[in-house]
Amino acid sequence: MALSGPIICPVCGKKAKTGSAIDCARHMFGTGDQPHRKWVDAQVAGQGLSFIDLLIEQATTPGNRSYVLLGEIIQKDAEKREAQKKESEKK
Amino acid sequence: MERQLIRLNVNNQDYEIYINPKTLLVEAIRDHIGLTGTKRGCDTVSCGVCTVIVDNMAVKGCSVLAVQTEGKKILTVEGLEVDGKLQPIQKAFLDEGAFQCGFCTSGMLMSATAFLKESKKPTEKQIRDGIEGNICRCTGYNSIVRAIDAVAKGKYTEDK
Amino acid sequence: MNKYTVINPHEPFRVLNTHVHNVDGWAKVTGRATYTFDVKLPGMLYGKILRSPHPHAKIKNIDFSKAMELDGVKAVVTGKDTLGVKQGIWRRYKDLCDEAILPVDKVRYIGEPVAAVAAVTEEIAERAIDLIEVDYEVLPAVFEPLDAIKKDAPEIHEGFERNINVTRHIEWGDVDEGFEEADYIREDWFRCGGQAHMCMETRCAVSSYTPDKKLTIYHSNQSPYYMQGLMAGVLGMREGDIRVIGPYTGGGFGGKFELDGAIFCSTILSMKCYRPVKIVFTREEDFIATKRRTPMFYYSRTGVKKDGTFCAREAKVFTNGGAYTGMGATALYLTGFFHSFPYVWKGYRYDGYRVYTNTLPSTSMRGFGAPQAMWCSEQQIEWIAADLGLDPIEMRRKNAHQEGTILPGQATIASCGIDQCFDEIKKWIKSKGKLRANRSIGISACGFMSGGIFNWFDTPYSFSSAVVTINQDGTVELHVGAQDIGQGSNTTMAIICAETLGVKVEDIKVHSGDTDHCPPDLGAWGSRQTLMTGNATKMAAEDAKKQLLEFAYAQSGLNIVYDLDIKDRWVHAVARPERGYDFGELVKKALRGKDGQKIVGRGYYTPHRKGMISPAYSYMLQGVEVEVDEETGKITLVDSMTAHDCGQPINHLGLIGQLEGAFSMAAGYGYLEYMPYEDGKLMNPNLVDYKMIRAPEMPPANIAEIDTYEPEGPYGAKEAGEGLTNPTAAAIGNALFHRFGVQMKECPIRPEMVVNALKEKAQKK
Repeated sequence: MALSGPIICPVCGKKAKTGSAIDCARHMFGTGDQPHRKWVDAQVAGQGLSFIDLLIEQATTPGNRSYVLLGEIIQKDAEKREAQKKESEKK
Repeated sequence: MERQLIRLNVNNQDYEIYINPKTLLVEAIRDHIGLTGTKRGCDTVSCGVCTVIVDNMAVKGCSVLAVQTEGKKILTVEGLEVDGKLQPIQKAFLDEGAFQCGFCTSGMLMSATAFLKESKKPTEKQIRDGIEGNICRCTGYNSIVRAIDAVAKGKYTEDK
Repeated sequence: MNKYTVINPHEPFRVLNTHVHNVDGWAKVTGRATYTFDVKLPGMLYGKILRSPHPHAKIKNIDFSKAMELDGVKAVVTGKDTLGVKQGIWRRYKDLCDEAILPVDKVRYIGEPVAAVAAVTEEIAERAIDLIEVDYEVLPAVFEPLDAIKKDAPEIHEGFERNINVTRHIEWGDVDEGFEEADYIREDWFRCGGQAHMCMETRCAVSSYTPDKKLTIYHSNQSPYYMQGLMAGVLGMREGDIRVIGPYTGGGFGGKFELDGAIFCSTILSMKCYRPVKIVFTREEDFIATKRRTPMFYYSRTGVKKDGTFCAREAKVFTNGGAYTGMGATALYLTGFFHSFPYVWKGYRYDGYRVYTNTLPSTSMRGFGAPQAMWCSEQQIEWIAADLGLDPIEMRRKNAHQEGTILPGQATIASCGIDQCFDEIKKWIKSKGKLRANRSIGISACGFMSGGIFNWFDTPYSFSSAVVTINQDGTVELHVGAQDIGQGSNTTMAIICAETLGVKVEDIKVHSGDTDHCPPDLGAWGSRQTLMTGNATKMAAEDAKKQLLEFAYAQSGLNIVYDLDIKDRWVHAVARPERGYDFGELVKKALRGKDGQKIVGRGYYTPHRKGMISPAYSYMLQGVEVEVDEETGKITLVDSMTAHDCGQPINHLGLIGQLEGAFSMAAGYGYLEYMPYEDGKLMNPNLVDYKMIRAPEMPPANIAEIDTYEPEGPYGAKEAGEGLTNPTAAAIGNALFHRFGVQMKECPIRPEMVVNALKEKAQKK
């Protein structure tokens, strides 16, 4: 499902660079403060992971896996929010 | 702490100082006579910044006791210039920029002075060996070697 | 002995780039130069520091009653005598301000200060140290970053999960697409060692706190302004009540622009007993308790086309941060950035992680992460060229930066002479002809920054400022905050001032190194002073000159289309230089015209909108001829050539000195200066076992200077001296690769590593 606009960070409301999911992921890893970490922890806890696990994975394996993973999570979250918004606007 | 009176001749001047006999020459020069041009840089007789000349021989001031130099002629960096006129080696250092932070410079000048007295037509290799005991962290040595070489080749005459 | 050539020489200047003596030369060659090491104040006491023997421990109790009873002891201090402020130079990022130099709660590395004593003699202070009893609760410690990030590793700083101190991510272009386009991909792991700054003058300070709540400090440092600001922060004092004097400084190399145990402990002691206190580190203390170059673990994956076009690179780096942040966060960023230099990449990605360990904190050291970056990059590139059967120089040239190159989101290259650097190195290699059987040549390219755009120190001041005041006899006072640590900044600023004002260097008196009298300046690090303080000096001199010429214009009645200028103390119309008059005469007229007030010119500089790193970049290519004894693995450097672009050289003697000096330090990083640690303890904290290059081992340093013009720099100038610390280790590695085919993954390259590599190679056959 395509989004209608750029992604806004669900933690701090910032639009990171182009507003793509991967740019938002870079912004979250780059900021790394408690609120951003807690949000990521909550998203990946189900997979038995945490913010720090993703960070270490990024450092110790080739490729961009952690960023891609977080990007996908952010994308899904943004789609969910937009769908919810549309729902509430209908009412 | 027992002390004794000793007499040191530094830069053609006799000084009487009252010191613990374990005092190193460099300590006597810096702390008791008050000439701070000579420096200290290590505790293992390795770096050479404390080099002075004792009876025409370059000596690390941290490797001898002051009492061992009684009766000898000690020359420090302050003794190089005479009546405000620089020695050729000092002029050469200025011309070649053979110093940067300057902390090793006093010791380097003394090693160079002693070396130039002994070696009349030194090769580059001999010059480098002559200052092997002096560490310089700033210059990479080559400008110092150029300066010594220029003096050895007679580029400088003393001011008349 | 050295060959020196200039490519594209600019029109000669009157003063710039001429053979000017260092303005501090007379003081230094006559033994008159007074360093902090020499400072003696009336009533001064001597301080000594008690240091932790444990890499990680809680401080339960400190009993110094016996020390206080010793006759001659005037004060003993511990963390309890401080405000307990954790400080750091990255003031804008509070959680990276993690170091209380006299800690209250726990120690995190062997050698960390725990208490300090001031006594009437050094000997008494040493005896008093031995009488202090410290109750430690020893904690488990961890020494390597890859151990420190494990789940069960001991926590070194509260709140830093897995001991990850800082992370940095740099990315531009499309890395994945780049790798897809690549015909050949290579990945390698490297290990980069630390290095000691090994300043000839060890850390030292004399601090004097007086009952009127004013503090004066003499300190061997690279930035009196930083010390003033940082001390104000840890003491809860106003900056204006603190005076920091930086006398002649015996070397810095990146290790002396943070607070150290000497300045901090001498101040706390002085505050307790209201007498000046001097602390001088022994050489051993300087090795074990001042920060070091950052050791790094590098993973680099590079993809190229079969014709040698660079496509993509990704690097993942862990740095051994040691116990505190220091300047390690910046080193983490710069290493990742310079690992891309000096090439254009379709896609580039870097992930850097700085990890706390219970070892000596790591920080900036000349090159600031770039020597490590080049050790890895320039060797890997050489191996790729060999794997593809391509000429390593031409492969580099094809991908190199040019004037106008843009590194997306990071930098714009406004001047770049690297292409001619390649030509000069090729010429040199050709001129060497056939080498002896036991010798080979290795090359390495790099580039470096001329000052950083960052303001993590959070200063409200311009990054550099200068004031030019003209006296009635035509002599000039130049006040700058730039600190001369041996690199010759006093001389460089005097040259810029003299050139701009139209007078001679001997007319200028440079004032620096005193926060009471000099303007704030970020100081001597990041290769910033020539560009930044140089710009401020030029602006101040231009301001003074303009004010001065107002009087000449008024008097001359010149038609508006004509200009006046000053050269060699001669004020004249540019169109008719033979007609004019003496600079001194003009100054006197100006004084009268201004009610007896001296002409004062002001200048300042802060980079604006100049990318993420630096306003300007220097470039260089270095070739080193290396002789290796196959039996012992001993490396001897035989010859070298450095082709170098620093824009417009300013200080000719200074430039040569910097190139040669940087080489000697970089060579040390490449094959000599090994710092082995065991369980957090440095095994060779002395100059017998820590190998420093000496005169017989230094090869000729031939130089080809390529003049370019950097629009952001004063008269087109860029840095010279730090960039050159970057290529040598890799060049040495590449020489070994060319002769033996061995790929050295760790620096410094010790003899046993060479022998082992040759054995392994023989066994493989």
